[in-house]
Amino acid sequence: MRRLAATLISLAAFLVAWKLLTVVTSAPDYILPAPEVVAERAVRAIGSGLLWEHTAVTLSEILLGLAVGATTAVAVGTALGKSVVIERVLSPYIVAAQSVPILALAPLLDIWFGGGLLARVLICALIVFFPIAIATMVGIRSADPLLGEMFRSLGATPAQLTTRLEIPSALPVIFGGLRVGVTLAVIGAVVAEWAGASSGLGVLINIADQGLFDTPLMFVALVTLAVIGIGLHGLVVSIERRLIVHP
Amino acid sequence: MSPRRLFIPVIVALLVACQPAASPSPSVPLRQVTLLLGFRPDVQFAPFYLAQQDGYYADVGLDVSIEYKSGDDIARLVANGQAEFGVMDATDVMIGRTAGIPIKYVATVYRLFPVALIGPKGAVPKHSGELADRRIGTPGQFGSSWHALLALLDAGGLTQDEVTIRTYPQFNQVEGLLNGDVDLITGFRNNEPLRLGAEGFETDLLTVEEIAPLPGPGVIVGDALLASDPTLAQHFVNATISAMAQVAGDPQVGVDAAVVAVPAIASDEATALAVLTATVQLWSLADGGVSPLIDPELWAAGYETMQRLGFIDGSVPLDEMFVMEILPST
Repeated sequence: MRRLAATLISLAAFLVAWKLLTVVTSAPDYILPAPEVVAERAVRAIGSGLLWEHTAVTLSEILLGLAVGATTAVAVGTALGKSVVIERVLSPYIVAAQSVPILALAPLLDIWFGGGLLARVLICALIVFFPIAIATMVGIRSADPLLGEMFRSLGATPAQLTTRLEIPSALPVIFGGLRVGVTLAVIGAVVAEWAGASSGLGVLINIADQGLFDTPLMFVALVTLAVIGIGLHGLVVSIERRLIVHP
Repeated sequence: MSPRRLFIPVIVALLVACQPAASPSPSVPLRQVTLLLGFRPDVQFAPFYLAQQDGYYADVGLDVSIEYKSGDDIARLVANGQAEFGVMDATDVMIGRTAGIPIKYVATVYRLFPVALIGPKGAVPKHSGELADRRIGTPGQFGSSWHALLALLDAGGLTQDEVTIRTYPQFNQVEGLLNGDVDLITGFRNNEPLRLGAEGFETDLLTVEEIAPLPGPGVIVGDALLASDPTLAQHFVNATISAMAQVAGDPQVGVDAAVVAVPAIASDEATALAVLTATVQLWSLADGGVSPLIDPELWAAGYETMQRLGFIDGSVPLDEMFVMEILPST
Protein backbone atom coordinates (compact mmCIF):
# COMPACT_ATOMS: atom_id res chain seq x y z
CA MET A 1 0.00 0.00 0.00
CA ARG A 2 2.82 2.36 0.93
CA ARG A 3 4.63 1.49 -2.31
CA LEU A 4 1.48 2.26 -4.37
CA ALA A 5 1.06 5.59 -2.59
CA ALA A 6 4.68 6.51 -3.30
CA THR A 7 4.21 5.63 -6.97
CA LEU A 8 1.05 7.72 -7.24
CA ILE A 9 2.66 10.71 -5.51
CA SER A 10 5.66 10.44 -7.84
CA LEU A 11 3.37 10.30 -10.90
CA ALA A 12 1.37 13.29 -9.69
CA ALA A 13 4.56 15.27 -9.09
CA PHE A 14 5.75 14.43 -12.61
CA LEU A 15 2.47 15.57 -14.17
CA VAL A 16 2.46 18.81 -12.15
CA ALA A 17 6.06 19.52 -13.19
CA TRP A 18 5.15 18.84 -16.84
CA LYS A 19 2.13 21.15 -16.63
CA LEU A 20 4.18 23.87 -14.95
CA LEU A 21 6.77 23.65 -17.69
CA THR A 22 4.14 24.24 -20.36
CA VAL A 23 2.74 27.19 -18.41
CA VAL A 24 6.09 28.80 -17.61
CA THR A 25 7.44 28.42 -21.16
CA SER A 26 4.07 29.23 -22.79
CA ALA A 27 4.95 26.50 -25.25
CA PRO A 28 2.25 25.91 -27.87
CA ASP A 29 0.82 22.40 -28.26
CA TYR A 30 2.85 21.78 -31.40
CA ILE A 31 6.07 22.23 -29.37
CA LEU A 32 5.17 20.85 -25.93
CA PRO A 33 1.57 19.80 -25.35
CA ALA A 34 0.24 19.96 -21.79
CA PRO A 35 -0.58 16.65 -20.05
CA GLU A 36 -4.34 17.18 -20.33
CA VAL A 37 -4.00 17.76 -24.09
CA VAL A 38 -2.07 14.50 -24.42
CA ALA A 39 -4.63 12.73 -22.23
CA GLU A 40 -7.49 14.00 -24.38
CA ARG A 41 -5.66 12.85 -27.54
CA ALA A 42 -4.99 9.46 -25.90
CA VAL A 43 -8.69 9.01 -25.22
CA ARG A 44 -9.46 9.68 -28.89
CA ALA A 45 -6.66 7.36 -30.07
CA ILE A 46 -7.89 4.59 -27.78
CA GLY A 47 -11.51 5.14 -28.77
CA SER A 48 -10.74 4.91 -32.48
CA GLY A 49 -8.65 1.76 -32.01
CA LEU A 50 -5.61 3.52 -33.48
CA LEU A 51 -3.45 3.18 -30.38
CA TRP A 52 -4.11 -0.51 -29.82
CA GLU A 53 -3.57 -1.31 -33.52
CA HIS A 54 -0.02 0.05 -33.30
CA THR A 55 0.68 -1.05 -29.71
CA ALA A 56 -0.15 -4.69 -30.46
CA VAL A 57 2.41 -4.77 -33.28
CA THR A 58 5.18 -3.22 -31.20
CA LEU A 59 4.43 -5.39 -28.18
CA SER A 60 4.67 -8.57 -30.28
CA GLU A 61 8.02 -7.39 -31.72
CA ILE A 62 9.33 -6.61 -28.23
CA LEU A 63 8.28 -9.95 -26.75
CA LEU A 64 9.59 -12.01 -29.67
CA GLY A 65 12.83 -10.00 -29.85
CA LEU A 66 13.31 -10.34 -26.12
CA ALA A 67 12.67 -14.09 -26.24
CA VAL A 68 15.11 -14.67 -29.12
CA GLY A 69 17.71 -12.20 -27.84
CA ALA A 70 17.63 -13.28 -24.20
CA THR A 71 17.67 -17.02 -24.95
CA THR A 72 20.61 -16.67 -27.32
CA ALA A 73 22.39 -14.31 -24.93
CA VAL A 74 22.10 -16.68 -21.96
CA ALA A 75 23.40 -19.59 -24.08
CA VAL A 76 26.29 -17.59 -25.54
CA GLY A 77 27.03 -15.89 -22.20
CA THR A 78 27.23 -19.28 -20.50
CA ALA A 79 29.68 -20.54 -23.13
CA LEU A 80 31.74 -17.37 -22.77
CA GLY A 81 31.78 -17.72 -19.01
CA LYS A 82 32.86 -21.35 -19.06
CA SER A 83 35.51 -21.20 -21.77
CA VAL A 84 38.30 -18.65 -22.01
CA VAL A 85 39.00 -19.88 -25.55
CA ILE A 86 35.42 -19.24 -26.68
CA GLU A 87 35.53 -15.84 -25.01
CA ARG A 88 38.74 -14.92 -26.85
CA VAL A 89 37.33 -16.08 -30.18
CA LEU A 90 33.83 -14.57 -29.91
CA SER A 91 34.32 -11.46 -27.79
CA PRO A 92 35.74 -9.20 -30.53
CA TYR A 93 32.74 -9.98 -32.78
CA ILE A 94 30.23 -9.47 -29.99
CA VAL A 95 31.80 -6.18 -28.97
CA ALA A 96 32.05 -5.09 -32.62
CA ALA A 97 28.38 -5.91 -33.22
CA GLN A 98 27.48 -3.87 -30.16
CA SER A 99 29.69 -0.96 -31.24
CA VAL A 100 28.11 -0.62 -34.69
CA PRO A 101 25.25 1.89 -34.45
CA ILE A 102 22.06 -0.14 -34.75
CA LEU A 103 20.45 2.81 -36.54
CA ALA A 104 22.92 2.33 -39.41
CA LEU A 105 22.60 -1.44 -39.47
CA ALA A 106 18.82 -1.69 -39.16
CA PRO A 107 17.93 -0.57 -42.73
CA LEU A 108 20.34 -3.17 -44.12
CA LEU A 109 18.94 -5.93 -41.88
CA ASP A 110 15.49 -4.90 -43.03
CA ILE A 111 16.46 -5.40 -46.68
CA TRP A 112 18.46 -8.62 -46.07
CA PHE A 113 15.64 -10.29 -44.15
CA GLY A 114 12.76 -9.23 -46.38
CA GLY A 115 11.43 -6.31 -44.40
CA GLY A 116 8.89 -8.29 -42.39
CA LEU A 117 8.41 -9.32 -38.77
CA LEU A 118 11.53 -11.51 -38.91
CA ALA A 119 13.75 -8.53 -39.69
CA ARG A 120 12.23 -6.47 -36.88
CA VAL A 121 12.53 -9.29 -34.33
CA LEU A 122 16.19 -9.80 -35.29
CA ILE A 123 16.97 -6.09 -34.89
CA CYS A 124 15.26 -6.13 -31.50
CA ALA A 125 17.09 -9.33 -30.48
CA LEU A 126 20.43 -7.86 -31.53
CA ILE A 127 20.06 -4.83 -29.30
CA VAL A 128 18.90 -7.00 -26.37
CA PHE A 129 21.69 -9.56 -26.74
CA PHE A 130 24.78 -7.73 -25.47
CA PRO A 131 23.86 -6.72 -21.89
CA ILE A 132 22.31 -10.12 -21.14
CA ALA A 133 25.22 -12.09 -22.66
CA ILE A 134 27.83 -10.07 -20.73
CA ALA A 135 25.81 -10.31 -17.50
CA THR A 136 25.49 -14.07 -17.95
CA MET A 137 29.24 -14.45 -18.58
CA VAL A 138 30.10 -12.44 -15.46
CA GLY A 139 27.48 -14.31 -13.44
CA ILE A 140 28.73 -17.75 -14.51
CA ARG A 141 32.26 -16.80 -13.47
CA SER A 142 31.04 -15.56 -10.10
CA ALA A 143 30.04 -19.05 -8.98
CA ASP A 144 31.87 -20.07 -5.78
CA PRO A 145 34.94 -22.14 -6.87
CA LEU A 146 34.83 -24.13 -3.60
CA LEU A 147 31.26 -25.19 -4.33
CA GLY A 148 32.42 -26.16 -7.84
CA GLU A 149 35.13 -28.36 -6.32
CA MET A 150 32.55 -29.96 -4.07
CA PHE A 151 30.18 -30.65 -7.02
CA ARG A 152 33.01 -32.28 -8.95
CA SER A 153 34.16 -34.35 -5.95
CA LEU A 154 30.59 -35.62 -5.63
CA GLY A 155 30.71 -36.76 -9.29
CA ALA A 156 28.59 -34.00 -10.88
CA THR A 157 28.70 -33.96 -14.68
CA PRO A 158 29.62 -30.70 -16.50
CA ALA A 159 25.94 -30.28 -17.42
CA GLN A 160 24.90 -30.69 -13.78
CA LEU A 161 27.61 -28.25 -12.70
CA THR A 162 26.18 -25.67 -15.12
CA THR A 163 22.48 -26.18 -14.40
CA ARG A 164 22.69 -26.82 -10.64
CA LEU A 165 25.45 -24.44 -9.59
CA GLU A 166 26.69 -21.93 -12.14
CA ILE A 167 23.40 -20.73 -13.63
CA PRO A 168 21.61 -20.49 -10.25
CA SER A 169 24.61 -18.57 -8.89
CA ALA A 170 24.54 -16.32 -11.94
CA LEU A 171 20.81 -15.55 -11.73
CA PRO A 172 21.06 -12.24 -9.81
CA VAL A 173 23.54 -10.92 -12.38
CA ILE A 174 21.56 -12.35 -15.33
CA PHE A 175 18.46 -10.58 -14.04
CA GLY A 176 20.50 -7.37 -13.88
CA GLY A 177 21.20 -7.85 -17.59
CA LEU A 178 17.55 -8.67 -18.25
CA ARG A 179 16.44 -5.44 -16.56
CA VAL A 180 18.61 -3.51 -19.02
CA GLY A 181 17.58 -5.81 -21.87
CA VAL A 182 13.82 -5.28 -21.55
CA THR A 183 14.17 -1.52 -21.79
CA LEU A 184 16.52 -1.87 -24.76
CA ALA A 185 13.97 -4.20 -26.39
CA VAL A 186 11.50 -1.31 -26.48
CA ILE A 187 14.10 0.87 -28.21
CA GLY A 188 15.02 -2.01 -30.53
CA ALA A 189 11.43 -2.46 -31.69
CA VAL A 190 11.09 1.24 -32.47
CA VAL A 191 14.43 1.33 -34.32
CA ALA A 192 13.32 -1.74 -36.30
CA GLU A 193 10.07 -0.04 -37.23
CA TRP A 194 11.93 3.08 -38.30
CA ALA A 195 13.99 0.87 -40.61
CA GLY A 196 10.86 -0.29 -42.40
CA ALA A 197 7.35 -1.05 -41.18
CA SER A 198 3.82 0.04 -41.85
CA SER A 199 2.52 -0.25 -38.30
CA GLY A 200 3.77 -0.13 -34.72
CA LEU A 201 4.35 2.66 -32.22
CA GLY A 202 7.56 3.72 -33.99
CA VAL A 203 5.55 4.14 -37.19
CA LEU A 204 2.84 5.98 -35.27
CA ILE A 205 5.47 8.40 -33.97
CA ASN A 206 6.58 9.08 -37.56
CA ILE A 207 3.00 9.44 -38.81
CA ALA A 208 2.07 11.76 -35.94
CA ASP A 209 5.26 13.82 -36.13
CA GLN A 210 6.10 14.02 -39.83
CA GLY A 211 2.79 13.06 -41.40
CA LEU A 212 0.11 14.75 -39.35
CA PHE A 213 2.10 17.34 -37.36
CA ASP A 214 0.10 15.99 -34.43
CA THR A 215 2.51 16.49 -31.51
CA PRO A 216 -0.01 15.35 -28.84
CA LEU A 217 -0.44 12.04 -30.70
CA MET A 218 3.33 11.64 -30.82
CA PHE A 219 3.41 12.10 -27.05
CA VAL A 220 0.66 9.48 -26.71
CA ALA A 221 2.88 6.99 -28.56
CA LEU A 222 5.92 7.96 -26.47
CA VAL A 223 4.00 7.59 -23.21
CA THR A 224 2.71 4.20 -24.37
CA LEU A 225 6.27 3.06 -25.06
CA ALA A 226 7.31 4.27 -21.62
CA VAL A 227 4.42 2.37 -20.02
CA ILE A 228 5.42 -0.81 -21.89
CA GLY A 229 9.02 -0.39 -20.73
CA ILE A 230 8.00 0.20 -17.12
CA GLY A 231 5.59 -2.75 -17.24
CA LEU A 232 8.16 -5.17 -18.65
CA HIS A 233 10.81 -3.97 -16.22
CA GLY A 234 8.36 -4.51 -13.37
CA LEU A 235 7.60 -8.00 -14.67
CA VAL A 236 11.30 -8.91 -14.70
CA VAL A 237 11.75 -7.53 -11.17
CA SER A 238 8.71 -9.49 -10.02
CA ILE A 239 10.03 -12.76 -11.49
CA GLU A 240 13.45 -12.02 -10.01
CA ARG A 241 11.91 -11.59 -6.54
CA ARG A 242 10.13 -14.93 -6.84
CA LEU A 243 13.18 -16.83 -8.11
CA ILE A 244 15.93 -15.33 -6.01
CA VAL A 245 16.05 -15.16 -2.25
CA HIS A 246 18.29 -12.25 -1.38
CA PRO A 247 20.13 -12.57 1.95
CA MET B 1 -2.82 29.45 -71.47
CA SER B 2 -4.85 31.85 -69.33
CA PRO B 3 -4.28 35.62 -69.60
CA ARG B 4 -3.06 35.57 -65.97
CA ARG B 5 -0.31 33.15 -66.94
CA LEU B 6 0.68 35.31 -69.88
CA PHE B 7 1.34 38.13 -67.45
CA ILE B 8 3.66 36.07 -65.29
CA PRO B 9 6.84 36.37 -67.40
CA VAL B 10 6.34 40.13 -67.43
CA ILE B 11 5.92 40.15 -63.66
CA VAL B 12 9.08 38.09 -63.25
CA ALA B 13 11.02 40.50 -65.39
CA LEU B 14 9.71 43.38 -63.27
CA LEU B 15 10.57 41.55 -60.06
CA VAL B 16 14.12 40.94 -61.17
CA ALA B 17 14.46 44.48 -62.48
CA CYS B 18 13.23 45.89 -59.18
CA GLN B 19 16.10 44.35 -57.19
CA PRO B 20 18.30 46.86 -55.42
CA ALA B 21 21.21 47.67 -57.69
CA ALA B 22 23.77 48.16 -54.98
CA SER B 23 24.54 46.73 -51.57
CA PRO B 24 23.42 48.72 -48.57
CA SER B 25 25.97 50.94 -46.95
CA PRO B 26 28.68 48.86 -45.22
CA SER B 27 27.84 50.71 -42.01
CA VAL B 28 24.38 49.13 -41.97
CA PRO B 29 24.69 45.72 -40.34
CA LEU B 30 23.01 42.86 -42.18
CA ARG B 31 20.06 41.28 -40.45
CA GLN B 32 20.84 37.71 -39.46
CA VAL B 33 18.12 35.28 -40.50
CA THR B 34 17.91 31.49 -40.72
CA LEU B 35 16.60 29.53 -43.68
CA LEU B 36 15.61 25.90 -43.13
CA LEU B 37 15.89 23.52 -46.07
CA GLY B 38 14.80 19.91 -46.26
CA PHE B 39 16.83 16.97 -45.01
CA ARG B 40 20.31 17.34 -46.46
CA PRO B 41 22.49 19.60 -48.60
CA ASP B 42 21.71 19.11 -52.29
CA VAL B 43 22.32 20.69 -55.67
CA GLN B 44 18.55 21.34 -55.88
CA PHE B 45 19.07 24.11 -53.33
CA ALA B 46 21.51 25.89 -55.67
CA PRO B 47 19.56 29.20 -55.84
CA PHE B 48 19.78 29.58 -52.07
CA TYR B 49 23.52 28.88 -52.12
CA LEU B 50 23.99 31.29 -55.02
CA ALA B 51 21.94 34.01 -53.31
CA GLN B 52 24.04 33.54 -50.20
CA GLN B 53 27.40 33.55 -52.01
CA ASP B 54 26.80 36.19 -54.69
CA GLY B 55 25.29 38.82 -52.44
CA TYR B 56 21.64 38.57 -53.49
CA TYR B 57 20.65 38.33 -49.83
CA ALA B 58 23.21 40.91 -48.72
CA ASP B 59 21.80 43.32 -51.31
CA VAL B 60 18.49 43.28 -49.47
CA GLY B 61 20.17 43.56 -46.06
CA LEU B 62 20.09 39.90 -45.08
CA ASP B 63 22.76 37.59 -43.74
CA VAL B 64 21.17 34.19 -44.34
CA SER B 65 22.43 31.08 -42.59
CA ILE B 66 21.16 27.78 -43.96
CA GLU B 67 20.26 24.74 -41.86
CA TYR B 68 18.78 21.39 -42.86
CA LYS B 69 15.79 19.89 -41.06
CA SER B 70 12.94 17.48 -41.65
CA GLY B 71 9.62 18.98 -42.82
CA ASP B 72 7.96 18.78 -39.41
CA ASP B 73 10.88 20.52 -37.72
CA ILE B 74 10.90 23.22 -40.40
CA ALA B 75 7.23 23.97 -39.70
CA ARG B 76 7.65 24.05 -35.91
CA LEU B 77 10.84 26.11 -35.88
CA VAL B 78 9.52 28.68 -38.37
CA ALA B 79 6.20 28.91 -36.53
CA ASN B 80 7.96 29.34 -33.21
CA GLY B 81 10.25 32.08 -34.51
CA GLN B 82 13.44 30.04 -34.18
CA ALA B 83 13.96 30.41 -37.92
CA GLU B 84 12.62 33.09 -40.21
CA PHE B 85 12.14 31.09 -43.41
CA GLY B 86 11.73 27.53 -44.56
CA VAL B 87 11.15 25.63 -47.76
CA MET B 88 8.41 23.11 -47.35
CA ASP B 89 5.92 20.98 -49.27
CA ALA B 90 2.67 22.82 -49.89
CA THR B 91 0.74 19.68 -48.91
CA ASP B 92 2.54 19.64 -45.56
CA VAL B 93 1.70 23.32 -45.09
CA MET B 94 -1.99 22.39 -45.44
CA ILE B 95 -1.64 19.64 -42.83
CA GLY B 96 0.51 21.71 -40.46
CA ARG B 97 -1.78 24.73 -40.66
CA THR B 98 -4.80 22.50 -39.99
CA ALA B 99 -2.95 21.04 -36.98
CA GLY B 100 -2.63 24.56 -35.56
CA ILE B 101 0.92 25.40 -36.60
CA PRO B 102 0.91 29.12 -37.52
CA ILE B 103 2.81 29.10 -40.81
CA LYS B 104 1.93 30.42 -44.23
CA TYR B 105 3.19 29.63 -47.71
CA VAL B 106 4.37 32.88 -49.27
CA ALA B 107 6.12 31.97 -52.52
CA THR B 108 6.20 29.11 -54.99
CA VAL B 109 9.55 27.47 -55.68
CA TYR B 110 8.41 24.30 -57.49
CA ARG B 111 5.72 25.07 -60.03
CA LEU B 112 5.31 21.35 -60.76
CA PHE B 113 4.90 18.75 -58.01
CA PRO B 114 8.32 17.06 -57.89
CA VAL B 115 7.26 13.61 -56.67
CA ALA B 116 6.27 10.95 -59.20
CA LEU B 117 5.92 7.20 -59.38
CA ILE B 118 9.06 5.78 -60.92
CA GLY B 119 9.55 2.32 -62.42
CA PRO B 120 11.51 0.41 -65.02
CA LYS B 121 11.07 1.65 -68.59
CA GLY B 122 7.95 0.21 -70.16
CA ALA B 123 6.62 -1.09 -66.83
CA VAL B 124 4.96 2.06 -65.48
CA PRO B 125 1.20 2.33 -66.05
CA LYS B 126 -0.01 5.28 -68.10
CA HIS B 127 -3.16 5.60 -65.96
CA SER B 128 -3.37 5.47 -62.19
CA GLY B 129 -6.29 3.03 -62.35
CA GLU B 130 -3.78 0.44 -63.58
CA LEU B 131 -1.79 0.57 -60.34
CA ALA B 132 -3.85 -2.21 -58.75
CA ASP B 133 -1.79 -5.13 -57.42
CA ARG B 134 1.51 -3.28 -57.92
CA ARG B 135 4.18 -3.37 -55.21
CA ILE B 136 5.10 0.23 -54.43
CA GLY B 137 8.00 1.46 -52.28
CA THR B 138 7.75 4.78 -50.46
CA PRO B 139 9.56 6.30 -47.46
CA GLY B 140 6.54 6.14 -45.16
CA GLN B 141 3.10 7.45 -44.37
CA PHE B 142 4.24 11.07 -44.41
CA GLY B 143 5.40 13.82 -46.70
CA SER B 144 4.93 14.66 -50.35
CA SER B 145 5.70 11.10 -51.53
CA TRP B 146 2.84 9.71 -49.47
CA HIS B 147 0.49 12.49 -50.55
CA ALA B 148 1.34 11.94 -54.23
CA LEU B 149 0.90 8.17 -53.94
CA LEU B 150 -2.50 8.41 -52.27
CA ALA B 151 -3.62 11.15 -54.67
CA LEU B 152 -2.70 8.96 -57.65
CA LEU B 153 -4.45 5.92 -56.17
CA ASP B 154 -7.51 8.03 -55.37
CA ALA B 155 -7.61 9.45 -58.90
CA GLY B 156 -7.52 5.90 -60.24
CA GLY B 157 -10.39 4.83 -58.00
CA LEU B 158 -8.07 2.67 -55.88
CA THR B 159 -7.31 2.43 -52.16
CA GLN B 160 -4.15 1.50 -50.29
CA ASP B 161 -5.54 -2.01 -49.86
CA GLU B 162 -5.49 -2.62 -53.59
CA VAL B 163 -1.72 -2.22 -53.87
CA THR B 164 1.15 -3.57 -51.77
CA ILE B 165 2.98 -0.70 -50.09
CA ARG B 166 6.42 -1.27 -48.67
CA THR B 167 7.98 1.49 -46.62
CA TYR B 168 11.60 2.61 -46.74
CA PRO B 169 11.91 5.15 -43.91
CA GLN B 170 15.61 5.64 -44.67
CA PHE B 171 14.62 6.87 -48.16
CA ASN B 172 16.38 3.87 -49.71
CA GLN B 173 13.43 2.79 -51.87
CA VAL B 174 15.70 2.95 -54.94
CA GLU B 175 17.49 -0.15 -53.59
CA GLY B 176 14.13 -1.87 -53.30
CA LEU B 177 13.41 -1.08 -56.97
CA LEU B 178 16.86 -2.22 -58.09
CA ASN B 179 16.70 -5.55 -56.29
CA GLY B 180 13.12 -6.23 -57.42
CA ASP B 181 11.43 -6.02 -54.01
CA VAL B 182 8.98 -3.47 -55.45
CA ASP B 183 7.66 -2.67 -58.95
CA LEU B 184 7.46 1.10 -58.52
CA ILE B 185 8.75 3.69 -56.11
CA THR B 186 7.85 7.22 -55.18
CA GLY B 187 10.70 9.59 -55.82
CA PHE B 188 11.73 12.99 -57.03
CA ARG B 189 11.41 13.09 -60.79
CA ASN B 190 14.32 15.54 -61.00
CA ASN B 191 16.63 13.23 -59.09
CA GLU B 192 16.08 9.46 -58.87
CA PRO B 193 15.46 8.81 -62.60
CA LEU B 194 18.70 10.61 -63.47
CA ARG B 195 20.73 8.80 -60.84
CA LEU B 196 19.21 5.47 -61.90
CA GLY B 197 19.83 6.31 -65.55
CA ALA B 198 23.47 7.02 -64.75
CA GLU B 199 23.69 3.41 -63.53
CA GLY B 200 22.07 2.10 -66.73
CA PHE B 201 18.60 1.63 -65.23
CA GLU B 202 16.18 3.36 -67.57
CA THR B 203 12.91 4.54 -66.06
CA ASP B 204 9.44 5.81 -66.85
CA LEU B 205 7.32 8.10 -64.68
CA LEU B 206 3.72 8.58 -63.64
CA THR B 207 3.36 12.22 -62.53
CA VAL B 208 0.54 13.85 -60.59
CA GLU B 209 -0.12 17.10 -62.42
CA GLU B 210 -2.37 15.76 -65.16
CA ILE B 211 -4.11 13.28 -62.82
CA ALA B 212 -4.31 14.79 -59.35
CA PRO B 213 -2.78 18.27 -59.32
CA LEU B 214 -1.02 19.28 -56.10
CA PRO B 215 0.91 22.50 -55.39
CA GLY B 216 4.66 22.10 -55.02
CA PRO B 217 7.16 23.15 -52.34
CA GLY B 218 7.68 26.80 -51.59
CA VAL B 219 8.81 29.34 -49.02
CA ILE B 220 7.06 29.45 -45.66
CA VAL B 221 7.04 32.15 -43.00
CA GLY B 222 5.56 32.20 -39.49
CA ASP B 223 2.40 34.21 -38.83
CA ALA B 224 4.12 36.34 -36.19
CA LEU B 225 6.91 37.45 -38.52
CA LEU B 226 4.47 38.06 -41.36
CA ALA B 227 2.43 40.32 -39.11
CA SER B 228 5.38 42.21 -37.64
CA ASP B 229 7.68 42.55 -40.65
CA PRO B 230 6.14 41.57 -44.00
CA THR B 231 8.84 43.39 -45.96
CA LEU B 232 11.45 40.99 -44.60
CA ALA B 233 9.72 38.08 -46.34
CA GLN B 234 9.29 40.23 -49.44
CA HIS B 235 13.02 40.97 -49.60
CA PHE B 236 13.92 37.35 -49.01
CA VAL B 237 11.59 36.08 -51.74
CA ASN B 238 12.76 38.71 -54.24
CA ALA B 239 16.42 37.87 -53.65
CA THR B 240 15.74 34.14 -53.91
CA ILE B 241 13.79 34.50 -57.13
CA SER B 242 16.55 36.60 -58.65
CA ALA B 243 19.03 33.82 -57.88
CA MET B 244 16.59 31.25 -59.25
CA ALA B 245 16.34 33.22 -62.47
CA GLN B 246 20.12 33.24 -62.81
CA VAL B 247 20.34 29.50 -62.17
CA ALA B 248 17.49 28.84 -64.60
CA GLY B 249 19.40 30.79 -67.25
CA ASP B 250 22.64 28.93 -66.61
CA PRO B 251 22.41 25.83 -64.39
CA GLN B 252 26.20 25.50 -64.34
CA VAL B 253 26.30 28.69 -62.23
CA GLY B 254 24.05 26.90 -59.74
CA VAL B 255 26.22 23.80 -59.73
CA ASP B 256 29.29 25.94 -59.07
CA ALA B 257 27.54 27.59 -56.12
CA ALA B 258 26.38 24.19 -54.83
CA VAL B 259 29.95 22.84 -55.02
CA VAL B 260 31.15 25.76 -52.88
CA ALA B 261 28.40 25.09 -50.33
CA VAL B 262 28.61 21.30 -50.51
CA PRO B 263 32.04 20.21 -51.78
CA ALA B 264 30.91 16.56 -52.05
CA ILE B 265 28.81 17.54 -55.07
CA ALA B 266 32.04 17.97 -57.03
CA SER B 267 32.55 14.20 -57.00
CA ASP B 268 29.85 13.80 -59.68
CA GLU B 269 29.36 17.20 -61.20
CA ALA B 270 27.84 15.85 -64.43
CA THR B 271 24.96 14.19 -62.57
CA ALA B 272 24.59 17.29 -60.39
CA LEU B 273 24.21 19.43 -63.51
CA ALA B 274 21.65 17.00 -64.95
CA VAL B 275 19.69 17.03 -61.66
CA LEU B 276 19.74 20.81 -61.47
CA THR B 277 18.72 21.15 -65.12
CA ALA B 278 15.76 18.85 -64.46
CA THR B 279 14.98 20.80 -61.29
CA VAL B 280 14.91 24.07 -63.23
CA GLN B 281 12.18 22.57 -65.44
CA LEU B 282 10.06 22.01 -62.30
CA TRP B 283 10.46 25.64 -61.23
CA SER B 284 9.97 27.18 -64.61
CA LEU B 285 7.07 28.67 -66.46
CA ALA B 286 6.37 27.66 -70.04
CA ASP B 287 8.66 30.42 -71.33
CA GLY B 288 11.54 29.34 -69.12
CA GLY B 289 11.14 32.19 -66.62
CA VAL B 290 10.65 31.74 -62.90
CA SER B 291 8.04 33.31 -60.66
CA PRO B 292 7.17 33.15 -56.97
CA LEU B 293 3.48 33.67 -57.71
CA ILE B 294 1.04 31.29 -56.07
CA ASP B 295 -1.56 29.63 -58.27
CA PRO B 296 -4.83 29.77 -56.26
CA GLU B 297 -6.58 27.37 -58.63
CA LEU B 298 -3.89 24.75 -58.17
CA TRP B 299 -4.05 25.24 -54.39
CA ALA B 300 -7.83 24.87 -54.45
CA ALA B 301 -7.54 21.60 -56.38
CA GLY B 302 -4.84 20.34 -54.01
CA TYR B 303 -6.83 21.39 -50.94
CA GLU B 304 -9.85 19.46 -52.22
CA THR B 305 -7.70 16.36 -52.86
CA MET B 306 -6.04 16.54 -49.43
CA GLN B 307 -9.44 16.91 -47.78
CA ARG B 308 -10.88 13.98 -49.72
CA LEU B 309 -7.89 11.84 -48.69
CA GLY B 310 -8.49 12.74 -45.03
CA PHE B 311 -5.22 14.60 -44.47
CA ILE B 312 -7.10 17.80 -43.60
CA ASP B 313 -10.61 18.25 -42.29
CA GLY B 314 -11.41 21.61 -43.88
CA SER B 315 -11.54 23.38 -40.52
CA VAL B 316 -8.88 25.84 -41.68
CA PRO B 317 -9.97 27.54 -44.90
CA LEU B 318 -7.75 27.57 -47.96
CA ASP B 319 -7.09 31.31 -47.80
CA GLU B 320 -5.40 30.91 -44.39
CA MET B 321 -2.84 28.51 -45.84
CA PHE B 322 -1.01 30.92 -48.11
CA VAL B 323 -0.60 34.65 -48.52
CA MET B 324 -0.13 36.45 -51.83
CA GLU B 325 0.06 40.00 -50.52
CA ILE B 326 3.79 40.01 -49.85
CA LEU B 327 4.57 39.49 -53.51
CA PRO B 328 5.18 42.97 -54.96
CA SER B 329 3.14 42.26 -58.05
CA THR B 330 -0.10 41.63 -56.18
